[in-house]
Amino acid sequence: MKVIVRNTGYFFREIKTIVKLDLLSNIFSIISLSFIFFLLSLIFSGGNIVEHMITAIEDEAQISVYYSDDIDVTIIGSQIKEISGIRDILYIDETEAKAEMTEIMGEESRIFELFDHNPFDPYIKVKIELDQVDTIVEEVSSISGVELVRDNKEILDKLKDISSLISLLGLLIVIAVSVATLIITSHIIRQGIYLNKEQINTLRLLGAPEYFIRLPFILEGLLMTILSGLMSNIMLFVVLKYIYSQTMSFLPFITLPKFNGIMTLIILITLGLSFALGLIGSLFGLKSTNK
Amino acid sequence: MIIANKLYLKYPDGTLGLKDVNLVIPSGEVVYITGPSGSGKTSFLKLLMGMESPSDGYLTVLGKDMNNINNRELRRLRRSIGPIFQDFKLLDGRTVYENVIIGMRFLDFSKSEIQNLALATIKRVGLDHKINSIVDNLSYGERQRVAIARAVARRPLLIIADEPTGNLDKDNSLNILDLLKSFKDNNTTVIITTHATHLIEDEQDCIKINVLNGKMSTEEVSYESNC
Repeated sequence: MKVIVRNTGYFFREIKTIVKLDLLSNIFSIISLSFIFFLLSLIFSGGNIVEHMITAIEDEAQISVYYSDDIDVTIIGSQIKEISGIRDILYIDETEAKAEMTEIMGEESRIFELFDHNPFDPYIKVKIELDQVDTIVEEVSSISGVELVRDNKEILDKLKDISSLISLLGLLIVIAVSVATLIITSHIIRQGIYLNKEQINTLRLLGAPEYFIRLPFILEGLLMTILSGLMSNIMLFVVLKYIYSQTMSFLPFITLPKFNGIMTLIILITLGLSFALGLIGSLFGLKSTNK
Repeated sequence: MIIANKLYLKYPDGTLGLKDVNLVIPSGEVVYITGPSGSGKTSFLKLLMGMESPSDGYLTVLGKDMNNINNRELRRLRRSIGPIFQDFKLLDGRTVYENVIIGMRFLDFSKSEIQNLALATIKRVGLDHKINSIVDNLSYGERQRVAIARAVARRPLLIIADEPTGNLDKDNSLNILDLLKSFKDNNTTVIITTHATHLIEDEQDCIKINVLNGKMSTEEVSYESNC
């Protein structure tokens, strides 16, 4: 350990020398790894956003109950309140219904100006426990005077399908990224060792311990993957910022996780992964040259 | 101390490098191994360095049995040896100072000890004015002095110089031999191989070992002490 600490400066100068010996290969490897890590970050952030949307929808789980005009809405309301799994009910009249839709549609809501009268019907907004949606819908539908019960279960189910798909895709990409990173890193380390074989041989003849000879190569692999991880984070920052601004402008009703939160999470994941893969890739590269 | 008894070295292709070598080299001696090219001088040094293993017979170097030495012990042994290779094996792109301290970085010296030993040795080989020069830009003789400085700066128990006079004229050869001899002390043995026997004719206070009948064929190679 004393030797490593005493020679820290030497090890970093050695990395510089090793990298300079095959500069182009190192640059191309870093670019390739950056794109690979970028792909991984995109999948992670996509998965995170969908998860967030599902949670948001689950928290806001509600059904809309439409009723016939000739019945007292409070009677339906009191019957609904008695059903298990109901958290709250709210009576929405025609004007409020139109205001809600106007807010959701934004500029597109100008289409309502073409109507002579308010096209929206009054309804009862019922907040529910999501896991009981099926029985609640069934019981509410059976109440006399209820014409239509609309739930967002289909949307939720679709989002959950997308989330599962992203998880599966994410797993496949993590495996692909890991394999590609290990191959690229170990290859560049092997190349570095090959180009420095004379020096390595001299150090061995001088009695240098193996860790002293290997450490610069391991550090080179680590530096390469961590640099790639950082570059992928910069790319993700730019792309995600654009996606967020576009989503906020055109799809304001979609709830996104906090930008800083998601970036911090992805930076930690990418750097952790690039460190681990860099270390393993370097060790692979060194091991394969021992034969 | 180096002890060889009925030592043989046979290369994988069947070439016999050394045959029936018997010798004892005490510590603190200057030893010249002479003989023409291909006679087995370098093969003997390779055995001392652990670059080859004896095919038969017995060899101990600084108390280590070279027939049964493991990698860990070999690394330790090499740290006690200061080798000067025929091709010098300097680290290209590095300065004289960097090349000299590379062999000391992993030894039990403090940072200041490394610095002091390196500076003193570089001065002793006459390269203090080129301490920060890149070795690639040095002359043959200067590169050789860097190799010598690297070998001796780390205070080895055994200095091995393989054909240090190989490409030098007589005056420079004698200078190099004098320089190498000057590193001998009570603990440090200096072994020098050379095919230029005329350079050491007048040498006193040393051990001279001739590789006899030194043709490419090593059939009749043997070692004998002349001092």
